[in-house]
Amino acid sequence: MATTTMKTTRDVKGVGLAIPRADGAEKVTGRVQYVADIQPRGLLHAKLLRSPHAHARIVRIDVAKARALPGVRAVLTAADIPQLKKKAPTRAHAVLAIDRVMFVGHPVAAVAADEPAIAEEALDLIEVEYEVLPAAVDPLKSMQPGAPPVADLGTEADTSEAMAHGAVAVAKTEAPAPAKAANVSQQSRLNRGDVAKGFAESDVVIEKTYRVPMVHQGYLEPHAVLAEWDTTGNLTIWASTQGSFNTRSEVADVLEIPENQIKVIPVECGGGFGGKIRALCEPITALLARAAKRPVRYVMTRREELIAGMPAPQVIIQLKAGVKRDGTLMALDADTVLETGAFSGTVLAVSGVFLASLYKWPAFDVRGVEVLTHKPSVAAYRAPVAPQTIFAIDSHMELIARTLGLDSAEFRQRHLMREGDPMANGQPWQSNGANEVLRRISEHPLWKTRDEWKKSGGKDGRRRGTGFALGGWLGGLQPTGATVKLNPDGSLSVLTGQVDIAGTNIALAQIAASAYGVDFEKVKITTGDTDTAPVTGLSAGSKTIYTVGAAVLEAAKDARRQTFEIAARELEAAVQDLEIEDGRVTVRGVPDRGITLAQIGKKGNLYMSKVPPVHGVSQLAFSQQAPAFAAELARIEVDEDTGEVTLHDFVVVQDAGRAINPMGVEGQMQGGSVQSLGMALTEGLLFDDSGRLTNPSLLDYRKLTAADLPSIETIIVEVPSPSGPFGARGVGEPPIVPAPAALANAIQDAVGVRITELPMTPERIALALLSSKGA
Amino acid sequence: MPRQVLSCTVNDEPVEVLVRPYDTLLDALREDLALTGPKEGCGTGDCGACTVHLDGKPVTSCLVLAMQARGRAVRTIEGIGRPDALTAVQAAFVKRGVPQCGFCIPGVLMAATALLAENPHPSEEEIRYGIAGNLCRCTGYTTMVAAIAEAAAAGEGR
Amino acid sequence: MRRFELALPTSVDECLEILARRGPDAKVVAGGTDLLPQLKNGLLKPAWVVDLSGVAELRTVRDADGGGLTIGASVTARELELDPRVRSRFPSLAESAALVGSVQVRNLATLGGNLCNAAPSADMAPPLLALDAEAIIAGPSGRRRVPMASFFVGVRRTVLGPGELLLELAVPAPAAASGGQYLRHTPRRELDIAVVGVASQLTLAGGRCVKARIALAAVAPVPLRASEAERALEGQAVTPERIEQAAALAAEATRPIDDHRGSIAFRRHLSRVLTRRTLTTALARASR
Repeated sequence: MATTTMKTTRDVKGVGLAIPRADGAEKVTGRVQYVADIQPRGLLHAKLLRSPHAHARIVRIDVAKARALPGVRAVLTAADIPQLKKKAPTRAHAVLAIDRVMFVGHPVAAVAADEPAIAEEALDLIEVEYEVLPAAVDPLKSMQPGAPPVADLGTEADTSEAMAHGAVAVAKTEAPAPAKAANVSQQSRLNRGDVAKGFAESDVVIEKTYRVPMVHQGYLEPHAVLAEWDTTGNLTIWASTQGSFNTRSEVADVLEIPENQIKVIPVECGGGFGGKIRALCEPITALLARAAKRPVRYVMTRREELIAGMPAPQVIIQLKAGVKRDGTLMALDADTVLETGAFSGTVLAVSGVFLASLYKWPAFDVRGVEVLTHKPSVAAYRAPVAPQTIFAIDSHMELIARTLGLDSAEFRQRHLMREGDPMANGQPWQSNGANEVLRRISEHPLWKTRDEWKKSGGKDGRRRGTGFALGGWLGGLQPTGATVKLNPDGSLSVLTGQVDIAGTNIALAQIAASAYGVDFEKVKITTGDTDTAPVTGLSAGSKTIYTVGAAVLEAAKDARRQTFEIAARELEAAVQDLEIEDGRVTVRGVPDRGITLAQIGKKGNLYMSKVPPVHGVSQLAFSQQAPAFAAELARIEVDEDTGEVTLHDFVVVQDAGRAINPMGVEGQMQGGSVQSLGMALTEGLLFDDSGRLTNPSLLDYRKLTAADLPSIETIIVEVPSPSGPFGARGVGEPPIVPAPAALANAIQDAVGVRITELPMTPERIALALLSSKGA
Repeated sequence: MPRQVLSCTVNDEPVEVLVRPYDTLLDALREDLALTGPKEGCGTGDCGACTVHLDGKPVTSCLVLAMQARGRAVRTIEGIGRPDALTAVQAAFVKRGVPQCGFCIPGVLMAATALLAENPHPSEEEIRYGIAGNLCRCTGYTTMVAAIAEAAAAGEGR
Repeated sequence: MRRFELALPTSVDECLEILARRGPDAKVVAGGTDLLPQLKNGLLKPAWVVDLSGVAELRTVRDADGGGLTIGASVTARELELDPRVRSRFPSLAESAALVGSVQVRNLATLGGNLCNAAPSADMAPPLLALDAEAIIAGPSGRRRVPMASFFVGVRRTVLGPGELLLELAVPAPAAASGGQYLRHTPRRELDIAVVGVASQLTLAGGRCVKARIALAAVAPVPLRASEAERALEGQAVTPERIEQAAALAAEATRPIDDHRGSIAFRRHLSRVLTRRTLTTALARASR
């Protein structure tokens, strides 16, 4: 494994260069193909009939008229699919409702037809009789005894999401009491010290409840899948997915067929952010294709995505903090509720760690519950649960600092954890750059001139303020492999199974280039399908470069070693005397004695040759995470009358460990921070009392436009990780974390009100101001 | 339901294609003319991924019935530059690493190209409003705006 | 989208004939920005759709007597936004058109569509109300003129009867010393829909207001004229105190609903704020 002292092989163009992705020209000319662009012959179009009720029994379902509509090629209900388990253990297994629907949008029937309009008309012809049942749609009420039950008794909490994200070692903590509360699917408790005593000795106790609604990951490309069977029972799936191997496993499990009878081809993915990690549409599409004996394509509409996607959970965090007047932290008590929808899927453990041990609380008691409701079940969303958690704890730290009259940055710096300090789960904090990031943001001119900015406000009812927040991600882990081949012309081919969502392929090419000893232009990265690629994990968890990068690094080093062994024999030299320069292996100090990489590559491919091909291979598993932190600062103006917030300036400071490709890193910082701002200011899935989504369109589910934003400044900090390739840390997740808290802090600075519920819409701000002026 | 003949110009070529009455222009371009550059992100005109030019003006093609393009000129991303001959704004996007997942990019470039044709020297605010009808989830827009400004400064607005 | 048949008339008369023949089975489409989303969501399932894009006479903006304008129903929001005559004579109308959706949507959305779809939040309605515009309607029994103040009868319902078509809007010449503005509040700067929209128009003479018009969107089932607020200003000098009083009266006249776009309290509050702001600007523009 690379150490921080590893140097790149000298003079190659590789790690550290800011280079655009290789597919830029194809993307700007619209030549890249996504699933919905693939047009096989005989293609059928799928549509799903979805429940209009949050909780109901299916009394009767009649598809005869739909089947009879000309142009309809297959209609399926649960009765046609014997593999469907009565108690679906995961959302992927809830292909079609058997006798009970558990959320608005739960599919009850599926149609494949010659054209989408005929499929929709077929849905209109399906008759379903429901017996509407009481629904649990508010998580706090859903926890109460007597609440309508969501899961069938005995359904285990599915912790695969937590495992898939690999974010936090589930520590051996005190086992929680058996759930008496209804619909509680996970519980956790982390505590240390004596909180009662801590509060008793505090000078000031501050309590607040922070709320963040469910939000959608917001990828522009809706879920899309194309499925086709061959005549021998093999299934091919073209999927917009963040993990082809995970998709394959889930489909195999649901359909009860062997994994090696399924080939998942990861097509260019138009955004995932965690929403395309788990299988969702693949099983039903495959079943329709099998029934119709033709290729079937299913593309979710935007309305379906919003109503029945897999959003981020609603999070409610009650914080009570006790401190001394001089700013000493005494005790923290927290209750966290994660609303997970109809199936368990939250990463509960992460929240506790950030609440209780990002800052050093000597005594804490942090309890968490995951609650089931009759709503679409959740999946990961870029740093799952971290933005919501940091919204709570960072807002709270800011509130404490302001209450005590202490400087915001110094207060955080004083109490921030350091390497080696215990996390809430008992493990030590790994080396990280949180302190460095905090220092950089507090030195930024926008922070230093915040008083002038504030004083310049006040004209025409427009007040000005500045705020920042610190957050991060613990870093994901997943085993993976890679291969590096030397081609007969001296170029390199690298094979991984990694879906390139975040532009990681160019960075992998740079790693291979630097590790092997050629320029990055000589390296081609191929993402194989599940038949051809090494088993690979998810493009998620900020772990692609950290894990796949490490695998590519090791495979490249393996290939380099093999290359040297061959060259040593050919040149009759010692391996340790060899180097690669300009496509040639030479003996150090004797430039005449050499052999080109092409010659070595050709020898490995010649008829009757005794030289083997160079084939570097790696297969790795990881145990050490590399936490990565980001701070964001917002300079804002608030219209006191309308509550409208104008973002004047926005800065992201992030520790990348080692920026393999600074352009790619900045891209993640830009995109992640705008998602963070959306969560802060405009986004939320709004359900009514019967569990129906009231804003199922992009008109009312508001993502920020270019007109709402300033140009965002990015600053990369490098505190190398001990175990990442060339010191790299994951960069995808940290930038989505800090903005909600940063904005809440800026709003308090500007107009004096502390908003604790997201999104911080103009209405929330204006009404808070009106009531604070004493209505 | 009988199909209707749509006669129009697409990317400077005259076209005659049989379309369904209820097809949108987006459907016809993607399914009947194999121009899959314009994408469906929402189907309701709220994301801009389907943006094409209709008689030179940027429109959300998911809201246009195919037959409403009769006798008119349609341009898609396939009619803007080529991989070996990119326009200034396309080249700036590539150089600055703007495309990430790439799904929004054809629509953004159609909006940006129309903006620069109408306003060759836009301010940052004008650029932002010019592409405000195009949602992007990956880039946060900053690099897009810089690329469009760079293309404008290069003087070849088209 | 379900299947339908499509008619492509090339004249108003042809269009009326088709509407008379098909009756309630037919829906008219112009820009499609309101109709197509409704078709795709299955809210509407017409057997016939009648495309107006081939009817050229609906697309013109013509000068009328004394400096007024006659605006065809199929004129797009973008055309209104950029037309120098609209911008100089009726800035509040140009402002409202400029706020619709995004540039792509504005290149499609029509004035007629915005009005006939009759959402309470229709942005182009308040300026036309404040400018005392008239709708010219064609139907089986010929043509008729309806003042905008009578055009809207309920949520998504207008005075148009079976087989009738909105042809154009007649906007009377602006008086000397008059000025107006349209403002709306939205959570985002583009791609959004009014939480509250207000158009104010003031005409001054001899230092006093001789005509005041205040029209609001999204605060009642129909776009609303705040008549009591208007009367409080007419005949008076327009001072900040009078503006504030009128703003309060306008807010009281509203009958907003609580929905996910805005609460009753917030809409009332915004009505007051935006009335105050548009009156202040209208006064400044009228005084130039």
